[in-house]
Amino acid sequence: MIDWFHPGLIYLFGALLIPLFRGRLRKGCLLLLPILAFVNLLLISKGAFLSEGKTWILPFLGYDLILGRIDRLSMVFAYVFVIASFCMMLYALHVKEEGQHVAAYLYVGSTLGVVFAGDLFTLFFFWEVMAWSALFLIWYRRTKRSFAAGFRYILVHFFGGICLLGGILLHLQTTSSIAFETFSWGWGLSWSNIASYLILLAFLINAAVPPLHAWLSDAYPEATVTGAVFLTAFTTKSAIYVLIRGFPGVELLIGLGAIMAVCGVVFAVLENDIRRLLAYHIISQVGYMVSGVGMGVMGTAAGEMAINGAAAHAFCHILYKALLFMGAGAVLEVTGRSKLTELGGLYKYMPITFHLYMIGAYSISGFPLFNGFVSKTMVVQASAMWHMPVIWLMLEGASIGTFLHTGLKLPWGTWFASEKPACEAKEPPKNMLAAMGLTAFLCTLLGVYPKILYNQLPYPVHYQPYTPDHVVTMCQLLLFTFLAFWLLRRMLHGEPTITLDTDWFYRMAGKRVIWFCEKPLITFAKFTDRKIMDLVHFIIWVSRNPAVALSIKKEEAKLKVKKLVMNPEGVEKHEQVLEEKRRRYPGELPRLTLGASLILILLSFSLYLILYLLMVH
Amino acid sequence: MKITRKHLFWILYSCLFLSILTGFLVHSYLHPPIYFFWETLPVFSAIYGFIGCVVIILGSKALGHYWLQKKEDYYEKNEKMRGDN
Repeated sequence: MIDWFHPGLIYLFGALLIPLFRGRLRKGCLLLLPILAFVNLLLISKGAFLSEGKTWILPFLGYDLILGRIDRLSMVFAYVFVIASFCMMLYALHVKEEGQHVAAYLYVGSTLGVVFAGDLFTLFFFWEVMAWSALFLIWYRRTKRSFAAGFRYILVHFFGGICLLGGILLHLQTTSSIAFETFSWGWGLSWSNIASYLILLAFLINAAVPPLHAWLSDAYPEATVTGAVFLTAFTTKSAIYVLIRGFPGVELLIGLGAIMAVCGVVFAVLENDIRRLLAYHIISQVGYMVSGVGMGVMGTAAGEMAINGAAAHAFCHILYKALLFMGAGAVLEVTGRSKLTELGGLYKYMPITFHLYMIGAYSISGFPLFNGFVSKTMVVQASAMWHMPVIWLMLEGASIGTFLHTGLKLPWGTWFASEKPACEAKEPPKNMLAAMGLTAFLCTLLGVYPKILYNQLPYPVHYQPYTPDHVVTMCQLLLFTFLAFWLLRRMLHGEPTITLDTDWFYRMAGKRVIWFCEKPLITFAKFTDRKIMDLVHFIIWVSRNPAVALSIKKEEAKLKVKKLVMNPEGVEKHEQVLEEKRRRYPGELPRLTLGASLILILLSFSLYLILYLLMVH
Repeated sequence: MKITRKHLFWILYSCLFLSILTGFLVHSYLHPPIYFFWETLPVFSAIYGFIGCVVIILGSKALGHYWLQKKEDYYEKNEKMRGDN
């Protein structure tokens, strides 16, 4: 009997079959793959296969590759990735271009590969496939901006991949093991520390932790309408998974996560593009998870709460962020516009999209009865249990900003703001609405009945989200945020600008590098080239008749001295003689006797011998 | 009955008032656990929500207008200038 089947392979092999089908058959196949993967996960959970432990161990270069490491942590992430992939594919079902579907399923399959990887080589392999497949979801938009953004995206991920590989090799060198377990952590420049730093750096790049976050807000809004929905879920959340696995309780992450949560919010205020605004909120929300990982000290109640919170928030975030991107994508799909300055008053045409979007907005803001409330408050509660006042204030403050932008500014500017609609619009295709409806249902279900989620988390959950003080506190926070928004709403109109982010450094540095290559470097190359050619020509000239050439050069030197000391008449006469010599050059070559030739040859050999002996000693 | 803007405002004001009132009630009768000194104030979240929102809007706008916000063709313009050279 088969002991296990890798859910990622269902997607990876399935992706290869997609181009073979057409029409309804293809649509059926696209929806069947996530269902098969989900059934597979259910069978694993119910113990039909191996339900905990390591399997699919393959020998490779003397090491054991572990393709299947199954435990509660990998299962909770696998569940949400598979569920989200079904909703997202339903949303993308009308897309006729098969390449987009292939790229999407390679992306999902490789992410599942990362989730179940029990060793670092397998992790690296799937990590790279994940980066590459996501790139095509950006490039399929086929605009100049998306090509450029895609290139920047993949260059950043190349850098991350190289850091990961370097870290893995150093880790292997110092520990002789490729097992993917918790890495040693400490400050200092020992090799094992450097290995951990490199691996952490790679993970932080994928998690979009500032200042390494700009690739996300640069690339995701340039992706295709449906591709962007896939992109929101997998790269950053698989990074959270590997952070939980590799660096739980690393204190550095607490501060980084809190900064991330606030940083995303600040940039979102300035953003005009609705999908870029939402992309900044991915950064902000992933900040809660990164902070949670940092607080996740093993063996402590607060640490377990933090890890549970990070995993739960990743689960919920994938669903509501997909829903929000689906809403914004629907607007882009039907209007061809995504800037707040070009939108407004669309409620008349798209009420269903608006209401479904708002469920995502309530969820991300953490309204009671929606899934953000049951997960975000766990991380905030963990910061309270650790008695970290600054972190607590930053995370609560980020909640305010989240509701302000995704729950108020964006829907206000898109569906209301002006009495007259900014353009013609209609509801998006039915499959898109169905996908939004399903995702909205899941967001609400988990909010109303969080036990379904809590039962899947890595540690037993002793947290009750619906206590009167939690509910009242959150209601006060969000209602008064609304009041402040209403009073200052005129300041929140979109502005036709872009916001400089940390990608400025490499975008401008890239231009400077190209300028440096085109100008100073090429000038220097041409100069060197010319000088070398001059030298070659001189050698050719001398070798035609070395004896006369030497005498000409001697005369030239004499002439220079004469010019300094003698009168012009004498110099002129000398110049004429020299000119005559140059004109006659090379002249008649002296004929050598056989003996003289032999002596010359012997002389040159002797010179070689002396040179050789000098070199040897 | 048609819901007008005025009705919506009344609903909003009622919700704001109710949230404050329940904050006091929960604090007085249920004694929730307190981790930080500011949680002794029953309306702390309301104040933090309002002030936080104002600070985020004004702070970010100031940051944007004086530093980070540029015209939409900022990068393309730089590209073009390089091409002209």
